[in-house]
Parts: sequence; C-alpha cells; structure tokens
Amino acid sequence: MAPQIFFELKNAVVGIAGLGGLGSNVGVALTRLKVGKLVLADFDVVEESNLTRQNYFADQIGQHKVDASMENFRRINPQANLEGRKVRLTPEKVTEVFRDCHVIAECFDRADQKQMIVETVLTKMKDVVVVSVSGLAGYGRSNEIVTRRVSDRLVLVGDTVSGTGPGVPLTAPRVGIAAYHQANAITEILINELHTKLAR
Amino acid sequence: MSAVLKINGTEKVFDKGLPSNLSELLTALEIDAATVVAEIDGSIIERKEFDKTTLNEAQSIELIRFVGGG
Repeated sequence: MAPQIFFELKNAVVGIAGLGGLGSNVGVALTRLKVGKLVLADFDVVEESNLTRQNYFADQIGQHKVDASMENFRRINPQANLEGRKVRLTPEKVTEVFRDCHVIAECFDRADQKQMIVETVLTKMKDVVVVSVSGLAGYGRSNEIVTRRVSDRLVLVGDTVSGTGPGVPLTAPRVGIAAYHQANAITEILINELHTKLAR
Repeated sequence: MSAVLKINGTEKVFDKGLPSNLSELLTALEIDAATVVAEIDGSIIERKEFDKTTLNEAQSIELIRFVGGG
C-alpha cells in the first residue's frame, strides 16, 4: 500500500454503531488499514449463536462485545486507538458518542434502529457521512449486494430487500460480503474526501 | 382530480388526488414508517414530522427503506 494512503487514514475517526455481524467485521478491516481511531458502541454481550457470523471466539461468550472487539482488534494492532462505549444508542447518544467521527458505520440489526441512526446523522450531525446496510439476509446472490451513494452524506449497502425472517437466516458469507462492502465504502470516502473534511 | 408525485425517480399518478400528508402516502404504499428515511425535494423529513408534512403536486420524494439484519 502506498504511504500516502496510510497518511489519509491515520487522521480519520470512524464510528461503528453496533458490533454484531457487520460491526465486528467492519472493525477488523479498518483496524488492518490502521484507521486513526475507532469509536465502538454496543450494549450487548457475546452469545453462542453469534459465532455463526460475528467476529468473536468461543472463549469470549459472556463478554461485552465492546470488550471482546477491543481485545480482538488489539491482537491485530496493539497500538490501535479504540474508544469503547457500552451504551444503548438513542438519538441523543448517537450525537454524543460519535461527535468526533468523520464517518459512521450503521451496523445495527433492526430496521427501525437503522432508520433512527440514519435520520439522526442526516438531520443532527453536519458533515458526517453515514454508511448503512439494508438487505443482506440469506445466502448466495453475492452480486445483488451493491454499494450505492444515495447522497453526499449517505451510502447504502445491500440488496435493499432481503430482511431476516422465518427461513431467512443471517449467514457468515453474505453478512461478510456486506460488511466488507461497508468497510470498502468507508475506505474510499476517507481517502478521497477526508482532506476536505479535515480542512473544515 | 388526479395528481402526480415522483417517488424514487418514478412518476406515480394518484387518481383521487394526493394523500393528505407523508404518513398517508406511506400507508397507501404499505410502507412501515418506522423503517423509512424520507426526503422531499432534497430535504430530509424527520419521522416525527411525517403526519404534519403535506404533499404538493410534482414533488420529488425519496423513500429509503430499511430491512432487518446485521
């Protein structure tokens, strides 16, 4: 990787809202890229059922996802600058927890929670870009998962239709594809647009 | 009297006139308001304002819909 790319990323602050199948994997990619700082928010603990697709290990069952993720990311990079917040995100908490972030990854599970954070970022947080995911359940159909720049401040990843439901599970491969679309969109925004954000 | 809105880039004709507000439009489209971010002519409308947001002929409405999973 060219050194100037590291330079762009090292000043970046990225928020990860939710550390499930999306967030735990987005965090791995951004840690490997040496993004300057990650703000991780989740209130949940690791359960056995999470291991089918989330980046946790059997010996982490029962730990807070924030603690387990920080431990995992620091095994990749012991110098990683991480801020962990064990909170249930509400509109007020979103603007407080992620106030220093240039980009926020929406990594929630529930549709109404996704709506809440996207609306909050777009209406209350000037200049911040939100990268959200809608439609990743099931398996196969890799090429139906796309990244779409909806507006200056909103990127939407997914096939837009595949929600979770009876007989439509979340699977490691398809969740992973969506998570890495999300991480790749964030990387592109930081490299191409962060200098304009830092200048403001 | 029929009226037209552009919804997600496609013109939709309402034969009996426009829905009275954004909430009514979502009901007509069978969309759960809790899972949609709405933009009218480029401005985001907060969900709590959906009931009070009246619609006008020829407006361009973007409805960004979320499904569960993550």
